[in-house]
Amino acid sequence: MKACHDAIALCESLGLGEVDPEHGPLVPAERGRELAAGLKALGYDYFVTCVATHLPAVEATDDEPGVPERFLVAYRVRRMPKGHFAFRFEVEQDCPSMVAFWSGADWHEREQYDLVGVRFEGHPDLRRIMMPEDWEGHPLRKDYAIETRHFPWR
Amino acid sequence: MALARWSGMPALGDVPVQIDVDPYMDIDAYDAEGDLMVLNLGPQHPSTHGVFRVKLYLDGEVCIKAVPYLGYLHRGVEKLCEKLTYANVIPIVDKNDYVAPMTSEWGLVAGFEKLIGVEPTPRAKVMRTILGELQRCASHLLWIGTFTLDMGGAIGGGATVFMHTFREREAILDVFAELTGCRFHYNHFTVGGQRHDVPAGWGAMVKAVCDLLEARTEEYESYLTDNTVFKARTVGVGVIDRQLCLEHGLGGPIGRASGVDFDLRRDGDDYGAYGTVDWKVHTHTDGDCYARYLVRLNELRTSIAIVRQLIDGIPEGPICSLKQVKLPGAVKPKAKASMAYAAIETPRGELGTWVMANSERKLMPHPYRCKLRPPSLHAVSLLPYICPGNNVSDIVVTLGSLDPIMGEVDR
Repeated sequence: MKACHDAIALCESLGLGEVDPEHGPLVPAERGRELAAGLKALGYDYFVTCVATHLPAVEATDDEPGVPERFLVAYRVRRMPKGHFAFRFEVEQDCPSMVAFWSGADWHEREQYDLVGVRFEGHPDLRRIMMPEDWEGHPLRKDYAIETRHFPWR
Repeated sequence: MALARWSGMPALGDVPVQIDVDPYMDIDAYDAEGDLMVLNLGPQHPSTHGVFRVKLYLDGEVCIKAVPYLGYLHRGVEKLCEKLTYANVIPIVDKNDYVAPMTSEWGLVAGFEKLIGVEPTPRAKVMRTILGELQRCASHLLWIGTFTLDMGGAIGGGATVFMHTFREREAILDVFAELTGCRFHYNHFTVGGQRHDVPAGWGAMVKAVCDLLEARTEEYESYLTDNTVFKARTVGVGVIDRQLCLEHGLGGPIGRASGVDFDLRRDGDDYGAYGTVDWKVHTHTDGDCYARYLVRLNELRTSIAIVRQLIDGIPEGPICSLKQVKLPGAVKPKAKASMAYAAIETPRGELGTWVMANSERKLMPHPYRCKLRPPSLHAVSLLPYICPGNNVSDIVVTLGSLDPIMGEVDR
């Protein structure tokens, strides 16, 4: 499913650079709210999903500079009936929250915070959702081994 | 913030309860004297359809605020996906939506196929559509049964409707068992097609089930649609606004009952054989529990009609477009750093799979990140918006009408 022309035109007018037909533009975190407001005005009301992926730091080598630890946060929205658009952020710690625009983003962002560890700036109620409140660590981070033992579960 | 919760003469029944619905309301500031009663609904309560807990702040019997708690059934499926190969994940997601495992598998496999770049064979496409629609019938049958059970046995005396719908669901499960050997948790879908071919006499078996279902759907309708008790419990109860449905990503039967004319089978990526059959999307504008019942009942009929149109014309050919491989690790994507999102319409709404290929050093046979977008999570997230202002008995009916499957919500 390809992104819609009106949303691509919006990205061009905002100067967001290249728009992947399937996964949308890579948006600078500080422009996120501007884009979301524009999408809402175009009628992209239907919230699909929000996915965060932990990308661990890459150490510098002789040839290439290192990359710090970061998170890829991908959002998807729809416009009824066939419009479809996605956009992504690559952030080091804080991602702009989209709850003010799509209230359905609330639990998805809480889940990504809980499991992946990315923080959503401006989220009204950012607390754990799947894991117990006193859980340590974020299980979907790449440095969290699947065998990690936790009291009292072993 | 003091709200006029009662005004006029409530006993006359003409004055509704006035409550501002704010899911982020500070309940301690609202109720500084501690007059509200806190009721834990769940996690082990039959009406919550699994291990789900809602903390209800009650004024008398009226809910002021509802706070849902999830995670009682969290099994770390997404972490498992990162450790298992593409072929090995499929039986795991059977346990996500345990009422409709066929569509649960299909949603995951659709994402993997898009990432890997495999198209299912024509035979597999038609077979998948038949199985998906039969699964929708089974799921909606179970829903009608448990929904009427939620109303405390007022409908038809105890568990009558529940027993009747389970009887027909059993016939559908027999059809699946004939094909896959299992009543549920089938592990039937594979990347590129399916695992088992149609056994002899299966088509006649499916047609017999369709005949049975068609007759019995009329029977359920005669039990419920004009039933005064049923209507008293559902009409005008748990009304969901269309805009709220959209912002919460509800496209399934819940969204369609609130006037969201959206069905991925028609509006999404072209998948299955839905383009070749004659069918239509049912919508309703009321958005209450009764509308959700009507939409699901009509979908049941539509699904039977789709199966009837396809069952005689399953194309010949291979059932899987990939070679039958002995090693699951042989299934992996070709492009590096690729991502894919694919979604299908399950009985509960849009089930999406967002998957990213693992290519740190070389292409690996397991995903780097796999996220499922379960429709039930979106349905349950509506509770803080629709519970306030309702009686506890209506909240139980509303929760039932959302048809949440906690295995899928918590993953």
